Amino acid sequence: MTTIVNSAKPYSELTQSSDESTVYQTFLARIPYARHLGLDIPKDPAGIVVRLPFHEALIGNFMLPALHGGVLGALIEITARIAAQSEDGKARCPRILDSNINYLRSAQAKHTFASAEIIRQGRRTSLVQVTCWQDEKSRPITTGRVQLLFATTDINS
Amino acid sequence: MRVVRVEGNQAIIGLSPQPWMFADDDCEEICTSILYSLADSACGLAVFAEAQELTPIATLDLRMDYLRPAAGDRDLLAVATCLHLTEEIAFIHCDILSNGDSQPVATGSGTFVRNTDGQRFQAAAGEK
Repeated sequence: MTTIVNSAKPYSELTQSSDESTVYQTFLARIPYARHLGLDIPKDPAGIVVRLPFHEALIGNFMLPALHGGVLGALIEITARIAAQSEDGKARCPRILDSNINYLRSAQAKHTFASAEIIRQGRRTSLVQVTCWQDEKSRPITTGRVQLLFATTDINS
Repeated sequence: MRVVRVEGNQAIIGLSPQPWMFADDDCEEICTSILYSLADSACGLAVFAEAQELTPIATLDLRMDYLRPAAGDRDLLAVATCLHLTEEIAFIHCDILSNGDSQPVATGSGTFVRNTDGQRFQAAAGEK
């Protein structure tokens, strides 16, 4: 198995030659805050899932205990970002314009999963819906919609 | 994160950026998710400020607009104001300011539910 993390290949080539979860992992590996949270992409036959492993520092309410709402916001935004980036033909890195997050159930002190659905992928913008769950995907704890903007010129050039 | 001030219907929280908060290995821009967390915390504190009590609350929704990039070498301030408070709900607005900029780098608005599981708590603790 080859992992492409520090590859010299351009992203466009990467997206063609690798399976989708490797592409996600590559984008995730470039985000310092995603590394700090320990986000990863477990193998899941049902599709791409981003996992937020539980650790004590993520607790926002010690009485319940419940995860901090901000950490779930981060999981949603980062999942949306890498989903939009992997959907883009040139794998451009998008900017997050806005995010709108609804909290449906209390997030317990355990692993949390997120999956993304691209609602619209345009040339300049992308709208991504992300759902987070802990036990069953059919019982989401948080959903969010994130609007992203792609630079029309390559920022690296 | 540090609490700068809690007064009236307003709460102000400060944050000094660290490299692990950056959005990408190639740039020193703060990840929007950090601004999101900061806003969530400040908004929650503003509910307590206005309500003058520490009964548990839960975020119902939070919407953020990221107006401009937040530089990784400048401290951030989140200024959250409670717009309206009812027995059950609090409406909060939050601006995030980057030190040296006159305009906010991000704005947000959140809705919080008050007294979530609170009665249970208080009954258990035998308060009030």
